[in-house]
Amino acid sequence: MDAVRIHRRLFGRYSGLSLLGASMSGWLPRLALQAESRGIRPARSCILLWMSGGPSQIDTFDPHEGHANGGPVKAIETSIPGIRIADSLPRTAQVMQHLAPIRTMSTKEGDHARATYYLRTGYLPQGPVQFPTLGSLLSHQLRQDECELPAFISVNPFRAFSPEAFGPGFLGPAWSPLVVADQRSSNTDISFEVRNLQTAPRLAAARIDDRIRLLNVLEQEFLAERPGIPGSSHRQSYAQAVRMMRSRDVGAFRLDDEPNALRDRYGRSPFGQACLLARRLVEKGVAFVEVALNGLENRGGAGWDSHTDNFQTVRDLCEVLDPAWATLMSDLQERGLLESTLVVWMGEFGRTPVINENAGRDHWPGSWSAVLGGGGIRTGQVCGRTSSDGMEIEESPVSVPNLMATICRAVGLDETSSNQSNIGRPIPLADHGAVPLQQLLT
Amino acid sequence: MGFICSIVMSWFAALVCLAVFFLAVFFLTICGHVTICMAEDQPLLAPVPATDTVPATDTVPATDTIPATDTVPATDTVPAADTVLLSVDETARQADALFEASWRSRHVIPAAAVSDAEYLRRIYLDLAGRIPAVSEVREFLSDPDSSRRDRVVEQLLDSPAYVRNFTTVWRNALIPQAASQPQYRALIPGFEAWLWTQIAADTPYDEVVRRIITIPVDSSTAMTGVLNSASSPEAFFVSRDLKPENAATGTSRAFLGVRLDCAQCHNHPFDRWKQQQFWQLAAFYADLPGADTASSGMPSGSGGDATSHRSIRMPSTGELIPAIFLTGDTPAWTDSTSPREVLADWLTDSRNPWFARMAANRMWAQFFGRGLVHPVDDFSENNAPAEPAVLDLLATQFVAHGYDLKFLIRTITRTRVYRTGSRQTHESQADADAFARAALRGMTPEQFFDSLAEAVGYYQPFLANNPFLTDDSSPRGRFLELYLDDAESPLQRQTTILQALAMMNGDFIDQATSLEDSQTLRAVTEFPRMSDAERLETLSLATVSRPPTAGELATFLPYLEASAQAAGETSSPGSREALGDVFWVLLNSSEFLLNH
Repeated sequence: MDAVRIHRRLFGRYSGLSLLGASMSGWLPRLALQAESRGIRPARSCILLWMSGGPSQIDTFDPHEGHANGGPVKAIETSIPGIRIADSLPRTAQVMQHLAPIRTMSTKEGDHARATYYLRTGYLPQGPVQFPTLGSLLSHQLRQDECELPAFISVNPFRAFSPEAFGPGFLGPAWSPLVVADQRSSNTDISFEVRNLQTAPRLAAARIDDRIRLLNVLEQEFLAERPGIPGSSHRQSYAQAVRMMRSRDVGAFRLDDEPNALRDRYGRSPFGQACLLARRLVEKGVAFVEVALNGLENRGGAGWDSHTDNFQTVRDLCEVLDPAWATLMSDLQERGLLESTLVVWMGEFGRTPVINENAGRDHWPGSWSAVLGGGGIRTGQVCGRTSSDGMEIEESPVSVPNLMATICRAVGLDETSSNQSNIGRPIPLADHGAVPLQQLLT
Repeated sequence: MGFICSIVMSWFAALVCLAVFFLAVFFLTICGHVTICMAEDQPLLAPVPATDTVPATDTVPATDTIPATDTVPATDTVPAADTVLLSVDETARQADALFEASWRSRHVIPAAAVSDAEYLRRIYLDLAGRIPAVSEVREFLSDPDSSRRDRVVEQLLDSPAYVRNFTTVWRNALIPQAASQPQYRALIPGFEAWLWTQIAADTPYDEVVRRIITIPVDSSTAMTGVLNSASSPEAFFVSRDLKPENAATGTSRAFLGVRLDCAQCHNHPFDRWKQQQFWQLAAFYADLPGADTASSGMPSGSGGDATSHRSIRMPSTGELIPAIFLTGDTPAWTDSTSPREVLADWLTDSRNPWFARMAANRMWAQFFGRGLVHPVDDFSENNAPAEPAVLDLLATQFVAHGYDLKFLIRTITRTRVYRTGSRQTHESQADADAFARAALRGMTPEQFFDSLAEAVGYYQPFLANNPFLTDDSSPRGRFLELYLDDAESPLQRQTTILQALAMMNGDFIDQATSLEDSQTLRAVTEFPRMSDAERLETLSLATVSRPPTAGELATFLPYLEASAQAAGETSSPGSREALGDVFWVLLNSSEFLLNH
C-alpha cells in the first residue's frame, strides 16, 4: 500500500469540495494536512514486561542461597560487582549495568485480581472510579501526535485475573491498547502481523478514500447525539485503524525484516519475539509497549503462579525470559534507544519464601522484587534488602504508589499531575502521598 | 482427546487456584455481621398461584384501587402478604409511574419516544438476537395497527429466533467461561441443547434452576456426556470443575446475584459475608466428584449415606462446616433428603430475598444493557438498585406469574422506559442509572455476526450432526472470536482497532460489498426498474433498518451519479460499483454496529 500516494490523491481530489468541510471537522484522520514525518521518537517510551501470576523473587532477583527458603537455586555474579541474582538468569546478569532491581516491594494484596489491579493501575479498586492501566496512563501523557501507530500496544495480554486492569478506565477508549497476539505457523515462525491492514486489491485507493469520506459524513450526526463508550470507541478505533492503514510504520510489525541472528538472540519464543517487536515499536515512536510472559506453551495463562513445582516452573520461564530481556536491553542500547526507554519488569506480587509441601511457593505480597531499567533510572544498583530468610524487609520498603511515582519521574512526568476521572474528581498519576525513589532516579 | 486434555488441565489450573485461596496470607475483617432478617411466617413474595390459569398475556383486569407503592415490598424485610396479580399492562404502567416519579424528583427529563424503525431494530436485537430483515422492516413500517409494537413482541416470542437467542443469552449467563476460555468451549453444545428444550417449552424459571441444581453429576458420565454433546445441564458443574466451592460461587452469583467469591478465603472486606457462610453454602455440594477428599466431610472410600454429604471441611481451619443457607437458616433434614434438593427448595422459595429479584434484574439488563442493579450479579448493601421499587415490583409479579420469563419480557418491553429513543436531548439523560434514554450498547458477538449475516444475505451453514456447535474456522467462528469482550456491560463494550480493520478490509466484508459475490448487492442492483433512490433505501433498510434521511440521499445520490459519469455510462447501472461503496459505509457505521 502506497501511503504517500493516497495522501496526495485525497488532497487533490477533495480539497475543494464542500463535503470536505464536514470530513475535516470529523473524526477520521486529516490525512492531507498531515506532515510527512518519520522516525519520530517521544521524549520517553516505556516497555512493561508483565509477569502474570506473580514471579518468585527468591528464584530470580533476591536469591537466598544457603537458607532453607532459598531452595536449590544458586546465586551468581553479575556485571556489577556485589550484585548477585539467581542462576536462572545468566544473561540478564550480564546487563545488570542497565538494571536496578527493587527487592523490597511491599503490599497487602495477596489476591490475583486485586493485586493485578493495584500494580497495573497504581490504585486499589475503590468504588466507581475506573482507574486506567499504566499503559493508558503513560501513553496518554507521552504520545506524540506524529506517531501513526497507536500510542499503547499490548502483546499477548492475559486479562482474566482482572479485565479492568488492562483498560483505559476513565481516560476513555482513545487510550485503549492495540492488542496483538502471536500467530504462528511453526515454532520458529512467530509473527505479530496486524491482520486486515491491506485493503482489497480490487479497490483503487481513491475508492477507499471515497468510502472513508462518506462514512465520516454518515457518522457525524448519529454519534454526536448519542454519547457513550460504544460510540466513542467506534470512532476512535476507526480513526486509528485508518491511520495505521496509511502508515509505513506498520512495517514495524514485520519481524522478518530483522536478521535471523538477532531474532535467535531474543529467543524464538512468543515472548522473545514480542520483546523484539517492542524495540521495533519504540523505534517508531510508540509511547508504551507491554509484553506479557504468561504460561509457557499450553500451560494456562498464569505461568508464574507456581504453587506446585516452583523451581522447575521458574527455570522454564526464565529460559524464555532471560535471553529475551537481556537482548532487549543490549539491543536498545546499541540503537541509542536505551536512554529514552524505561523498562519495567514486574508481576502482581511475589511468592512465599517458605517452600510448601508441593515444592511450590504461594502468594507473597509482603517482600518481593520488581526491576526498573533503562532510561531515567540510575541502574547498576539494588534497592532495598530483605532478611536472611526473605520474610522481612530490613531496608527501604517500597509501596506501589512510590513505585508508580518513580516510573512517572523516569519518563519525565510529574506524578502529582492529575487527570479528570469518571466521577469528576481529579486523580493524580500516582496516588496521593506517593514519593519517588530518589535513589533510583538519574 | 484434545478436549480431555484441556479439561484435565483446567482442573489442574483450578486446583492451583484453590491452593492459592487456601494459602492466602491475609485476612480482612469486616465491621460486623449484618444478619438477614426474614419473617419466616410471611412470604416475601406472593406464593405462586396454585393453578396454572395465569394468563400469559394481559387479560387480567387491572386493579387500579391499589397504589403502585403498596404492592411493592420496599426492603428484604417487609413482605407483602397479599400481592395482587397484575397484568402485563398494569405492571408496565406501574413501573413507568415509578420511573416518572423518580425522574421528576431528580429533575431528569427523559428522551423522546423511540421511532418505529429504531424500536423494531432494538426489539429484534434484544429478542431475536439479530436485526430485522428488509421485508420485516417494510412490513412493520407500513402496518397501521396501533398495537403493532406489542404484536411484534408476540411474534418474536413465538419464533425459533427467540429460542435460539435466549439459549445463547442464558448460556452466557450461566456458564460464562464457555465463551471466554477455550478449554470449556466443548461444553456449549450439550448445555445449549438442554437450554433450548427448556426455553422452547417455556419451563418456569424456578423449575429450570431446580433442574440444574439437582442434576446428578458423576465425573465419568459428565465427561462422556460432554464428549457426546448430550443434552444436559451438567455443564453448569463441569464448567466449575465439579468442585463444591466453585459450584457455590456459581450458584450464588448466577441465581442470587450475590458475590461470595472473596468469602471463599476470607471474610468479605466490603460486604457482610463471612468465610464460614461461603463454606456453609459449598457444603450443599459436598457430593460433587471434584470435592477435595481432604476437605469433604465424607468418610473416605465410600459413597457415604445421605447425612455424610451435608458438610464440608473448610480448608484454612480444617473445621467441618455443615450445610446452612445464606440466610442463616438451618435446613430441616429428613433421612432421605438430598442436600441439593434442599438447596433448590430454598433457592426457588418465594421468600428467598434474592432469587426473583436477580432474575428480574437479569431480564432488565437484557433489554437495557444495564441492570437496575449494576453489575447485574452484584447485589450487596453497598450497591443499591437504581429504582428499588421497580425491581421489587417486577420480582413480585414474576413470582405471582409462576416464574414466567415471558411475563418479564412482555412487561419490560411494554414500558415507556424501554420505548425511549437513543438520542440524548438533555444532559440529565447522561446518568445511565436514570434509564431516561436508550443507551448505546455494544452488540454481543452473536448479535453482531447474526446481524451482519442478515444484512449481507450470508446463509449460515450449520453442522447437521451438532447444530449447537460453531465451527471455529467458519466466518461465524472467526467473528465470534474477534468480538469476544470482557466488558462488564454492553454499555462499556468497546470497538477494537482489529475489529475496525476486519470490517473495513477483511475478506468477508469485501465479498459482501463486491458485485460478484454479494447476495444483497446483487438483489439490489439486478432488480429491474429500481431507481437509485430505491436502491439506496433498500441498502439502508438492510443495515440500519430505516429509510435513508434526506441528508443521506443528498450525499449518496450525487456520489452514485458522479461514479456513473466517471465510468462513462449514462444509465444508473453504471453506479453499481458505487452502491458497493455505500453498502460498505453502512456496514461500517456505528448505527449498524451498535444496538440503540
